[in-house]
Amino acid sequence: MDRDLWRQWQELASLWAPATPDSQARFGGDGALGLGSFKDAAERFTTAARSFLDGAADASAPAAGEAARAFSEFLREQFADYRLPWSSGIGAGSSNSAPPPSMGDSPAFGATREHQQRWQRMTEASRRIDAAQRRLQRLWSDALREAAAAFAARLAPPHPSGVSAEALRKLYDAWIDCAEEAYARVAHGDAFCNALAEYVNASSQWRRELQAGIEHLAKLLDLPTRSEINTLTQRLKSVEQLLRAAQNKRKPRVAAASRTRPARRKAKQ
Amino acid sequence: MTEASFYAALAAASDGVAGCSQKDAVWESGKLRLYRYRPIARPTGGVPLLIVYALVNRPYMLDLQEDRSLIRGLLAQGVDVYLIDWGYPDGADRLTTLADYIDDYLAGCVNQILKARRLSALNLLGVCQGGVLSLCFAALHPQRVRNLITMVTPVDFHTPTDLLSKWVSKIDIAAWVNNGNVSGDALNQLFLSLMPFRLTQQKYMHLLAGSPDRAQIENFMRVEQWIFDSPDQAGAAFREFVTWFYQENRLVQNCVAIGGRKIDLRALRLPMLNLIGTRDHLVPPNASLALQRLVGSADYTALEFDLGHIGMYISARAQREVPAAIANWLAPR
Repeated sequence: MDRDLWRQWQELASLWAPATPDSQARFGGDGALGLGSFKDAAERFTTAARSFLDGAADASAPAAGEAARAFSEFLREQFADYRLPWSSGIGAGSSNSAPPPSMGDSPAFGATREHQQRWQRMTEASRRIDAAQRRLQRLWSDALREAAAAFAARLAPPHPSGVSAEALRKLYDAWIDCAEEAYARVAHGDAFCNALAEYVNASSQWRRELQAGIEHLAKLLDLPTRSEINTLTQRLKSVEQLLRAAQNKRKPRVAAASRTRPARRKAKQ
Repeated sequence: MTEASFYAALAAASDGVAGCSQKDAVWESGKLRLYRYRPIARPTGGVPLLIVYALVNRPYMLDLQEDRSLIRGLLAQGVDVYLIDWGYPDGADRLTTLADYIDDYLAGCVNQILKARRLSALNLLGVCQGGVLSLCFAALHPQRVRNLITMVTPVDFHTPTDLLSKWVSKIDIAAWVNNGNVSGDALNQLFLSLMPFRLTQQKYMHLLAGSPDRAQIENFMRVEQWIFDSPDQAGAAFREFVTWFYQENRLVQNCVAIGGRKIDLRALRLPMLNLIGTRDHLVPPNASLALQRLVGSADYTALEFDLGHIGMYISARAQREVPAAIANWLAPR
């Protein structure tokens, strides 16, 4: 493998690392946010690509095929934990929090009946969120597996020697193409659409029940609630509409002018 | 460029100010601002053009920087350009409906321009979702619109390649909105999820692997700023838009009503120009091309560009072709 090529890629990878404490703060130098988080990914890609290209260039056809398969599997694993909306909260449900303790299907009764029922509904919503997330992750994994297989097929037969930096970049782009194509097939499918809808709908229910609980506490403390503010907003909007309607009745219609060409005298604005 | 200077350039560009052309606020209503751009070329003397941008992103994408500005391109053609900035809705705007946006805000802007310029009609350019709003406005007030231009505007929301439409088809939108606003961040996540590998990985890799200079970094960061500068959506309008258009495809079904008044696209007889990006992943070309069979205009022109959704605003090809196409189409009308 051309040393210059790997030096270029190592330099590229090093660019993804924060340079100074200040830039670490700006770009999330802890690796969780910003460009800093790409450093490891770039380095891992570089290492894996080198292994593949070395294997593909020097080995027999079966070994080259195995190198391609290993490289594809590596890429698949790299994206397995990728955070998409269903793992970062498109709705209000928190995927990372443990579901509330199950209250079973036992009938709610007594002075706290309403609260018991609300908790039961939240528990059920949380269970639905969890199930939908698992379905989505499984579909994501299916897409990655399909992408890896397509990528491996595209890589075989062994890549010719004399690899350039541009070829390495094309390798990366080819992986992205395979991944997007596989993902698109999955994302357009009914299974994915149903799971995504279930995730959003369950998250909406979870949030609604949580809001109801918080509003109950707010009332106990005589704090304003969102429902009250919504009511006031609605009243204000109604008054505004009445006012606007009254104003419009008084105004002469703008369309009184019949010309569609600009006036000779320039308007102030 | 060294590592340190690369980060310094990124840091400097991240504080950049979007928008390059000079403009004046000529009217406001609530959070809305109506701007008029100052001319940079000899005016053609034609009817002013009001640009109606989408609610889901900020309109400065149309005037990002001097060499990437649809607005600047139009100004250079001598077009008199107005732009609506919808602002950032907050909790107090949660009950704002599509009727409010179309019949109060948009109508207010049109009235203001017509009154100030002593005209009876102007030209409308609706961009993306703003194109849908413009179509509705033109159908409600045909006497106030002289020519209508739609750009990357969805009309048929149920085309086979429309992934967003498929995703939202079974979502309970009323429950999702729940009388509140919809987070712009959540919508951004959704948009990124349409092509997650390209939009969250590859573009950053290309930036770094391309050994960008300072100007390229600044260009990249301006777009980056725009992409993630996503206003929350007024809940009621969002619920109506997704339910009526994405889920029920009402424009095609010819059953949209705004403020109790029916929107009949077949009654639209005014000259229409439809601009389409053939590689648009957000608004598939067929979603826009459907407009021709739905409207009653005998003067309908569709222009297709080999560009994606964002490329229609900022690509070099768009700068060369789109403003000129608009100006040339408007000139005899």
